[in-house]
Amino acid sequence: MGIISLRSVSKSYPSGGSRLRVLHEIDLEIEAGEFVVAAGPSGSGKSTLLNLIGGLDHPDTGTVRIDGVDLARRDDRTLAGLRNEKLGFVFQAFHLIPVLTAVENVAWPLHLKGMARRRRIARSRELLERVGLAGHMHRTPGRLSGGQRQRVAIARALACDPVIVLADEPTGNLDRSTAGEIMELFASLNRDGGVTFVLSTHDTMVVSCAGRCLSLLEGGITDTPAMRTTLDGGPAHA
Amino acid sequence: MLDLVSLSMRNILRNGRRSAITVFSIVVGFAAMACFGGFIEFSFEGLRENTIRTRLGHLQIYAQGYSERRVSDPESVLIDDPEQVIERVAELPGVAAVTPRLSFSGLGSTGNTTVNVSVVGVEPGREEEFSDFEILVDGRPLGTGDPEAGLIGEALRNGLGAEVGDWVTVLTSSFDGVINAIDFRVAGVVRTGSEEYDSVFVKVPIELAQRAKETEQVERIVVLLDNTEDLPLVQPRIEEALSKLGRRFEIRRWDELAGFYDAVVALYTGIFTVFAGIVGVVVMFSVANTMTMAVFERTGEIGALRAIGARRSTVVAMFLIEGAGVGLLGAGLGVAASWLIAGAVQMAGGIPMPPPPGMSQGFQAFFKLDGPVLLDACAVTVAATLVSSVYPAWAASRIRIVEALQR
Repeated sequence: MGIISLRSVSKSYPSGGSRLRVLHEIDLEIEAGEFVVAAGPSGSGKSTLLNLIGGLDHPDTGTVRIDGVDLARRDDRTLAGLRNEKLGFVFQAFHLIPVLTAVENVAWPLHLKGMARRRRIARSRELLERVGLAGHMHRTPGRLSGGQRQRVAIARALACDPVIVLADEPTGNLDRSTAGEIMELFASLNRDGGVTFVLSTHDTMVVSCAGRCLSLLEGGITDTPAMRTTLDGGPAHA
Repeated sequence: MLDLVSLSMRNILRNGRRSAITVFSIVVGFAAMACFGGFIEFSFEGLRENTIRTRLGHLQIYAQGYSERRVSDPESVLIDDPEQVIERVAELPGVAAVTPRLSFSGLGSTGNTTVNVSVVGVEPGREEEFSDFEILVDGRPLGTGDPEAGLIGEALRNGLGAEVGDWVTVLTSSFDGVINAIDFRVAGVVRTGSEEYDSVFVKVPIELAQRAKETEQVERIVVLLDNTEDLPLVQPRIEEALSKLGRRFEIRRWDELAGFYDAVVALYTGIFTVFAGIVGVVVMFSVANTMTMAVFERTGEIGALRAIGARRSTVVAMFLIEGAGVGLLGAGLGVAASWLIAGAVQMAGGIPMPPPPGMSQGFQAFFKLDGPVLLDACAVTVAATLVSSVYPAWAASRIRIVEALQR
């Protein structure tokens, strides 16, 4: 069984008087260390898939397992702990806390985990240096560019050493150049840290960075191994 | 926890104008509550001290059985050898004055007019402490060298048509049931504060009162302390001293004898409770509005916090701390505002008030902002802000993460 395992997962949402089927009988296995991109048009269920994997939402039917843990059998408190310790989230809108500085934003998941203040500040500094924000640690999000905010969000996602990072349209609010830098960062973290990445996007540049591409359409998934390329077009690995 | 407090405090400062308006409304409510509470406290203190120093003293000592037999057989419950009791009690620390009293009712007459009077016999030399709240409006106070002088209330003077220097005859019966009369010369006219009391008030030397009742005993011994607050400490000392005299006494505190005071306290306390409740509701609506807006504006953040592992209880705690923080800030500034207002009133010489019901004169009111008044206002304010934060905090914790992240 992979680190992420979905069995016969279906999800629909109310729409007018009926229900809109977003995912239908999905089976999916993702192994540890994979770099997976879920691609598809708007409304195809990319975000829903990430929400289900992240325990942010529950499927109508089927099971979602993360590292062997069946999310449906866990209460809210346990799910919060699992999200804190095993998962990292990066959002299109960053969702940083505006009243906290960059280093405090990164430290917040560690605070929730119960880590001592000194240790979590040291860890947060280290992560911000790793994402290239050594000189911006004490700036609040309002004083950072979009790319810098997304780097803070990435550092926050990595704070608790997650086994999986889920990124929902992580480059959606960034210009082309910054998006490329962010994808390079993701790729290096995946390559060097062995963290499993699952991204949703409809950006072909992001798709081109994936080791595996999941195409979502009309409730179904087409699983296609992808040739990961560098951002200038050359193959990264076979 | 400190980080959560820090986050909550920063969130309060985040929308400065809105928080300022909310805190201002709390400060206004707090100051209104504290000043009203201070006014009531001042009134209680005035009424209490007036009651104690004009009529009751802090303690009254009676012969054993006084409560049961004072109407049916008053002569049997008089105190023998009062000087022994007075000397023993007067030497105790915390006691300011001890004086005997013998009171009775009768008919007062100047020849033309006859009215009911309530006569109290006192020892003039020991009465200075008790006269603090008696205002002499005409004549002079009772002196030790004038055994046939007396003071009358201002309303009684009008009733009798008597002036200073006039003779008044008081008709009563002795303890043996024999009709008796005494004469005293009006030395002064006083105002006790109570219009009802003023209309019957007669104060004469105790020897004159004893002559009217044909006795050498006294009805009671009144004890005045240096400070009313010392009563719980001094009363046991007095009881212990009296137990060594080999006689048995009844001791009653002033608050056991002052039914009117209790009724006034109950009434004013009820009014204050209603007022505090209204202020609390106003504060609650103000804070609830602010907190609801805060939850609405920060839905995305709440979703992100929950996504990165915050429990529902953490979200609840965050908003409750914000509510408590706003309440404490408002209460702190409210204390300062209340002090400023009370100081301004003090500097202005008080607020002129009309005579209370049953009283003969108005007074200058001040705000007595002591610890309990401010603590009550703080408790109401912080409780109101906390209670009004509960629903928004609960609602924030129940937001579905997925929906929150879409805001």
